[in-house]
Amino acid sequence: MNDRNHFGLWVVKHFRQHPEFGALAGLIVVFIGFSFTATRFISADSFAGIANIASELGIMAAGVTFLMISGEFDLSVGSVFGFSAMLFAIASANGIPLLFGLLLALLAAGCIGFLNGYITVHFQIPSFITTLGALMLWRGVLLAITGGFPVRFRGESLVLETLNGHLWGEFRASVIWFFAIILVLNFILLRTRYGNATYATGGNKDAARLLGISVERIKIGNFIMCSMMAGFAGCIQFARFCSVDPVRGQNMELEAIAAVVVGGTLMTGGYGNLVGTLLGVLLIGMLRSGLVMAGAPAYWYQAFVGLILIIAVILNTYIKRWSLK
Amino acid sequence: MKDNQNLVEMKNIYKYFGTVTALRNVDFQVKNKEILGLVGDNGAGKSTLIKILTGVFPPDQGEIFFEGKKIKLAFPKNARDLGIETVYQNLALIDLMSISRNFFLGREPVKHLAGVVSVLDKKKIENVTKTVLKDIGINVRSVDEEVSILSGGERQSVAIGRAIHFGAKLLVLDEPTAALSIKESHKVLNYVLEAKKRGLSVIFITHNIYHVYSVADRFTILEHGEKLGDFRKDEVCTDDLIEVIRTGKKIEKKNNK
Repeated sequence: MNDRNHFGLWVVKHFRQHPEFGALAGLIVVFIGFSFTATRFISADSFAGIANIASELGIMAAGVTFLMISGEFDLSVGSVFGFSAMLFAIASANGIPLLFGLLLALLAAGCIGFLNGYITVHFQIPSFITTLGALMLWRGVLLAITGGFPVRFRGESLVLETLNGHLWGEFRASVIWFFAIILVLNFILLRTRYGNATYATGGNKDAARLLGISVERIKIGNFIMCSMMAGFAGCIQFARFCSVDPVRGQNMELEAIAAVVVGGTLMTGGYGNLVGTLLGVLLIGMLRSGLVMAGAPAYWYQAFVGLILIIAVILNTYIKRWSLK
Repeated sequence: MKDNQNLVEMKNIYKYFGTVTALRNVDFQVKNKEILGLVGDNGAGKSTLIKILTGVFPPDQGEIFFEGKKIKLAFPKNARDLGIETVYQNLALIDLMSISRNFFLGREPVKHLAGVVSVLDKKKIENVTKTVLKDIGINVRSVDEEVSILSGGERQSVAIGRAIHFGAKLLVLDEPTAALSIKESHKVLNYVLEAKKRGLSVIFITHNIYHVYSVADRFTILEHGEKLGDFRKDEVCTDDLIEVIRTGKKIEKKNNK
């Protein structure tokens, strides 16, 4: 009896401390489902397809997670994704060294992030509004400067190879970048003072401020980082296609947010981690390619993501409430 | 430093919020190793005074001295660095974080990986939290559990324990016994005495005259942003204090020392 109580406590404690549990369960269920219904689902090429989709979305989602844990929101990541990729493409197509173009694209993304953060913190308006504005603004600028036409880059480059070249079979370098970013950011989140301050800021910003944490600086820092991740993801996708069209990344912000929330991160901040986001992104990637392989019309993909999102949030909320009893 | 010297002295403090005068010419002192009860009705200016002392906002006029030196506080961090530790009623700890992370929040010990990357010293964080809480008689199941599972009294206790551990010289408690059960209030009051025993001065802000009377050495009464008076414990009884707060009129000091 005592043992069982002890075990019960252990289970409850681990549910509470591992927000990624719901996403893991979902991933397993979806995996098993597709392995029966989708032909050739279990194959290296199919896994590579999932990983490639998940990586580009995942790099963006990693930044979104960090920012969401600090209690803020970025809807403009899809636009930044497109904007940075376009900047990189235009620079490359005009003969600017690619490494330079990449840095320029990341710098621009960082500046947009800083603006988002500064406006949100300084004028004390909801980041939902700031970044909704930024979403429209930067997409509009993107459409205006390109006149709606795609930009192509012809040529080989070590930079593009490093960003997203073929690695092994259909697996691309983006997978490595994705895992590396998840590892590094999760390390920062769980093992550094900055990560601790990020949790505190999202958990209760007034208490954090009174304990001497510079809440504003943490938030702006995370806005910048989130935006740079989105920009980097855009550059990685450009390296895959060698072209960018001005609607690149549209609606991707919603997919990224869905992945983060499925991964157990609380939209209100203060709780979550990047392992959950990794699983959430894999779940979404798996849905996308699995449904195609199972012969479902592509339109169903969105419907399924929506469904999974709602189920996952109910599950996560329920587990959290239950484990806190 | 002698016990009857002032640890904190605030002189001629004024604070305005728009057209409202929140504090008018308030003088305020806390002596070394003294528990001071700061009492007054809602809106009397207790919180405003304390927020000035803890660096949340500056006064519009007036001077602050700490250990005899004139100080300027721009941020809560400045106050914390001087040794002024505040435990706010609802803002003491962050619910979603573990007890040990809360304990060290804002001053986490770090170790250096490969000489450059500084990472949290998790072992130290957990061990120190465990020992300190045990030392002052607070029992928790495990320090890596989230704060949200603690009761109100346990939270106050952890926050007070934290202040004592980090060598605070002045502990500011904002309504520490509000919304606590009788048993838990009693515990918290014991920690307040424990803090004094370890050489801290304490400012105890409350509505509950009975709680503060049982531990405080002296009382300062505020009313509508002005000070009604300072009283040593032997000069007043609880009914006197309540009477002053209720009527807003000063009373004659008894001379029965």
